[in-house]
Amino acid sequence: MDVIAVLVKASLNPDVIRVEPDGSIDVKSIPLKISDIDRNAVEEAVRLKQKLGWKLIAVSVATWGPISARMKDLKLAVQEALAKGVDEAIVVADDSITPGDQLTTAHAIKTALEREGVRPKLILAGEATIDEVSSQVPGRLAALLGYNYISFARRLEVEGGKVIAERDLEDYVEVVEAPLPAVVSVTQEINDPRPPTLLQIRRAARKPVKTVTSSELGGLEKPRRRILEVRGIQVKRKQVILEGDSLEEIAEKLIEALVKEGVLRL
Amino acid sequence: MKVLGVAYEPRDAGELLRAASSLNAEFHILAAGRAAENAEEVSKYASKAYILKTKSPYSIFKAVESLVKQEGYKLVIGEGYRNLRDALSRVAGSLNMPMATDAYSLEVSGESVVVVRGFLSERARMKVEVPLPAIVLFTQRFTEPAEPLGHGSIVELKPEEGPERVVEVKPKAVGEVNLEEAEIIVGVGRGFRSKEDLKLAFELAELLGGQVGCTRPIAADLKWLSEDRWIGISGKRVSPKLYIAVGISGSPQHMSGVQNARIIVAVNKDKSAPIFKQADYGVVADLYQFLPVLIRKLREKLGR
Repeated sequence: MDVIAVLVKASLNPDVIRVEPDGSIDVKSIPLKISDIDRNAVEEAVRLKQKLGWKLIAVSVATWGPISARMKDLKLAVQEALAKGVDEAIVVADDSITPGDQLTTAHAIKTALEREGVRPKLILAGEATIDEVSSQVPGRLAALLGYNYISFARRLEVEGGKVIAERDLEDYVEVVEAPLPAVVSVTQEINDPRPPTLLQIRRAARKPVKTVTSSELGGLEKPRRRILEVRGIQVKRKQVILEGDSLEEIAEKLIEALVKEGVLRL
Repeated sequence: MKVLGVAYEPRDAGELLRAASSLNAEFHILAAGRAAENAEEVSKYASKAYILKTKSPYSIFKAVESLVKQEGYKLVIGEGYRNLRDALSRVAGSLNMPMATDAYSLEVSGESVVVVRGFLSERARMKVEVPLPAIVLFTQRFTEPAEPLGHGSIVELKPEEGPERVVEVKPKAVGEVNLEEAEIIVGVGRGFRSKEDLKLAFELAELLGGQVGCTRPIAADLKWLSEDRWIGISGKRVSPKLYIAVGISGSPQHMSGVQNARIIVAVNKDKSAPIFKQADYGVVADLYQFLPVLIRKLREKLGR
């Protein structure tokens, strides 16, 4: 049976950051959640699976350790994909590849697929994840697998052995087609993902999830990136409240301040 | 060390030269996209400029891949346009190179490169070290362009055709805007009571030669404006000189999108709105009263 794979990441949740008094952030203190744009990728993958009658698997690689402390969050991210209609999942979790980088993640996905003997015709991913926002893994994976790659798709169809997609670029949109197999990254405009229902969540608990380590995969590329420091952005704004006897006076003061700052030319 | 800068817009060339100039490196440029249509201009910023007349990420991928292999570039730099993220992530995969995106600064130390980059949806900065050879994509407009060097040699490359076929190219529909390029943005939020009232913001933006952006509810829930105007964590990240937030409370989801604005002005009638702590200049007033006065004053001064 033909297979679609969808990439799912348990990402650091940027909404729950704790910045220490010295400005540093300990990433171990940030909980993980499924990356928002992965929800769009899953929604689209489920739609295509239903249309094409293919099997849908999710692949997830743990980036943030320690694994023992992260296992619950990792499982929750994958469970959400399963609840939405993914048939089974492969999770690569190993402290030797955390904190991961995109080189490691792409290699781990490729290795896990090969070890499982799966050669998907189509691989879907979000255009970026909410923690790294780097848009690298799908392109790297396409290059590693020798697949075609279509990035930033806001519309997608699969027909007659090829993908047809609308790529959303900075100032124009282009419709591209490429033969399968292909990797496609999707934007948030592609669909409107709904949360899974309770019934779907209950059913997902029975779906197979295979968790594998580096040694079970015959070794993985180690991360090359060393994180030296993570700091919260200190917003240092002037916080001047402009006051006056009338709105005219305040408007004058504002215009004057903006001219002085060099951001307004009269 | 040899450094290759991949320019996509003409102004990238000078900015990438500035990044490379502190590295004591031999700097060459590969110009694609609109930069390739300005070969003479681009060639002023490097001793050699390769011209690749295409926007195709596949063709850019293949050209950079073969230049790195044949010419031994240790570092490839560019700015984070979507087509370059696409092309260079494939180079990174194919040549097994580390890559850092959303970079603000870069230093080379010995055989590795240290990059400060945006992280956690622009709410944090991450300092990382990766071994060379490596790829670094900066945020757009991360620096001022360097002075031109003179005239470098120009080598035209033939784009390699890929399996991906472009069937149609559509400019974004009128009404769609390019907020990333705007120098002045007037942002609108729930303080506006109706879609019609947004004309106040449009009038102000037009007067200042700026654009109108908005918060999530205005685009996604109320659909008063198209989503290309949505600024924030799931919308656009912008870096105007001036951001005027009108009727915006200042949620972190929205504010992370304007973090790189040079000056932020807030107009809000609620003096306890969080926006005032994140603004340079605050006006505590009803926008329906204040905007007409501000617009009138600006018209007088601008003579329009």
